[in-house]
Amino acid sequence: MNPALAGVALAVVLGAVVAGSARSARAAVLGLVAALVLAPLLADPTPQPFGLAARLIAAILAGYLLWVAARGSGVRTGGSRLGWPAEVLIASAAAVVGYGSEGLGAPALGPALAQAAGFALAALSIAPIASGRDVVRVGTGLLLLANGAILVRTALGGTPEALEEVAIAGMIAALGGAVAVLAMSARADGTGFELAADRSVRQRRFADAHPLDPQ
Amino acid sequence: MSLAVYLVVTLGFAALTLGARGRPGLSTAFGLVGLVAATVAALAIDPTDVVAIGRSGLAASAYARLFLVLGSLVGLGLALAALASGTRRDAPMATLATLGIASLTLTLTDPRIAVVSATTGGLFGVWLILAPGADRAGATLGIRELRAVVVAGMMAIAATAWIGRDLTQLAAQPVVFGLAYLCFALAVAVRFGAIPFHLWAARLTDAAPETALPIITVLAPASLAIVALAWIDASIAPLLVDLELERIVVLAIAVASIVLAALAAFVQDDLEHVVGYSIVGDAGVVVLALAVLEPAGWAPARLWILVFIVTRSAFAAWAGGIRTTFGTGRTPDLGGWAIRSPILAIAFGLIVIAGVGLPGLAAFDARSSLVRLALDGPAASMVLLGTLAPLAYYGRLLVIGLGRPSGATRPADRAIEWRPRARRPDLTSPGAWLKTTWQGNRAFSGAVIAAMLGVLALATSVGAFGGPAAAAGLPAIVEGPSETFAPTPSGGIGPAPVESGLPSFQPIPTR
Repeated sequence: MNPALAGVALAVVLGAVVAGSARSARAAVLGLVAALVLAPLLADPTPQPFGLAARLIAAILAGYLLWVAARGSGVRTGGSRLGWPAEVLIASAAAVVGYGSEGLGAPALGPALAQAAGFALAALSIAPIASGRDVVRVGTGLLLLANGAILVRTALGGTPEALEEVAIAGMIAALGGAVAVLAMSARADGTGFELAADRSVRQRRFADAHPLDPQ
Repeated sequence: MSLAVYLVVTLGFAALTLGARGRPGLSTAFGLVGLVAATVAALAIDPTDVVAIGRSGLAASAYARLFLVLGSLVGLGLALAALASGTRRDAPMATLATLGIASLTLTLTDPRIAVVSATTGGLFGVWLILAPGADRAGATLGIRELRAVVVAGMMAIAATAWIGRDLTQLAAQPVVFGLAYLCFALAVAVRFGAIPFHLWAARLTDAAPETALPIITVLAPASLAIVALAWIDASIAPLLVDLELERIVVLAIAVASIVLAALAAFVQDDLEHVVGYSIVGDAGVVVLALAVLEPAGWAPARLWILVFIVTRSAFAAWAGGIRTTFGTGRTPDLGGWAIRSPILAIAFGLIVIAGVGLPGLAAFDARSSLVRLALDGPAASMVLLGTLAPLAYYGRLLVIGLGRPSGATRPADRAIEWRPRARRPDLTSPGAWLKTTWQGNRAFSGAVIAAMLGVLALATSVGAFGGPAAAAGLPAIVEGPSETFAPTPSGGIGPAPVESGLPSFQPIPTR
């Protein structure tokens, strides 16, 4: 096992644990950025400089947009209801499964540690995506899932080429931007990132269901 | 090079439109000019254009060109229809971005990269969901749409990553191939909002105006479906693995979408929901095509996708025209709409013929072929009948339109009528004259746009623009497929021998 890669994998998973469990929105964003920035380094061989640069810039851009969306003191997000120790255990168990199932039935072209980290991130993303009650928490889960899937892809198919890295970078940046836009919209009334309550009964739609855009 | 021009035009104008968002007039102008420029750039795409980047690259094709031409045209039509009905100034920006990313998705030769691109293309839809004032309800619907897009994208990424490598030393059971196939097919179903994954798409109609729906649930997912078809044709169809169980799951989703969505559209009282469910129903045919694991399904599936895009966009533009003219989208309030707005009635007729089709039309034959290839015996006949179920909701709308005019079908604004009204040009103040003329003709403009898109839909359905030939074309391959299944002629293990321009229908040894 490459100790440097192991250290990167550990940092990626720890960043994801912080992102998934922190109740402070900005702490969650910091953890997410750590996971996003370090993930492209979890490859053997290291990505080509152009592709790596694109991934790093995309990760920082996505993080910056989310940071802007979470501006203000004491801005909260849902965080983990189970607490960070439970998140660590979930991530550890998933990482063991990922490491043990290296290649998923065929020889892998990338490091097993990437698959371990990818499984851990995917496991950590399930709760926010399935039961998140605010935009930032669901968005964090989506970014973790995307990062985890890319890590598993790296483990199976080897280091992505520059073109693929650029495509992944575009997806990460666009996803971060989309979550940030939605987060700012949710906060427009000055309360928080909470999702609107579901209507149990469909309401009658009136003619002005789509108000005219003030031009 | 011509591909790069299209990409620069679409993404460049999308950036300009976004940058000028604070000045709505300028932003709209950038968006409309961008969509016109995108149409011209799409027409200028050279189908033989190939750009090799590393081991993969971009390769244009006649089909990608036609997809982008039609996509740009319907994008322009929908943007104008949205402008006439006064909703969502971000529509041109999101349309341009979606088209730009779709051009990448359709031309990337490596499916592992194409699915990433297709996922990115779906992310721009959130701009269309957010209400002008930006509110919590819009954000809630937006994050649910993102959830569907990202979860589907990651399923597709996982499927293509698992198969996209050397599998000659496979240690897993062949059933894993079936799981990969199912994963990608479900990803496409989720993106289209096919039943039972339709909740997010149904809720979407509460926030997105009808003219924006095709961009989110038709145009962007269609590019993923085309990648799925190519991937299944090259990587799954040649397998000697029994995939019957997985096919049954995909078929069940497809049939449920075709039949139940038509039923849901029939009982809806809001045109947005009728449009939304009609999209789900036609998307069911696309999902059905994913269950046809034979090369014979390739051309009809791709042709149907083109018809699907144009027809559903025309239907959405028609619904937008109804709202502009009568100020409501509620069907109980639309009695006599066809009598009061003949242009919308003509547009409606064109859309019905294009969407449902007649025997002999390319679209009708393509859909029938897909049903026959996917199913056998009585089941095929029943599903074929099910594909005609849209006649039920079209019939209901027509009956309402020909019925007793209700009070609501008086023009919403006395200044807006379905007939064109032009005053003498005022050369001393052309800007004010243009604005007044546009305001007075919004209903007429909306109806004409719907009729023009109806003509485009009918032409596509007939098989004009070289659609059938383009759909039958095979995807270009810059280099051999990334997965390695077959022994090389030298006896070693390497890329399967693939003649440039042909897919590798190589049987895969699975034991």
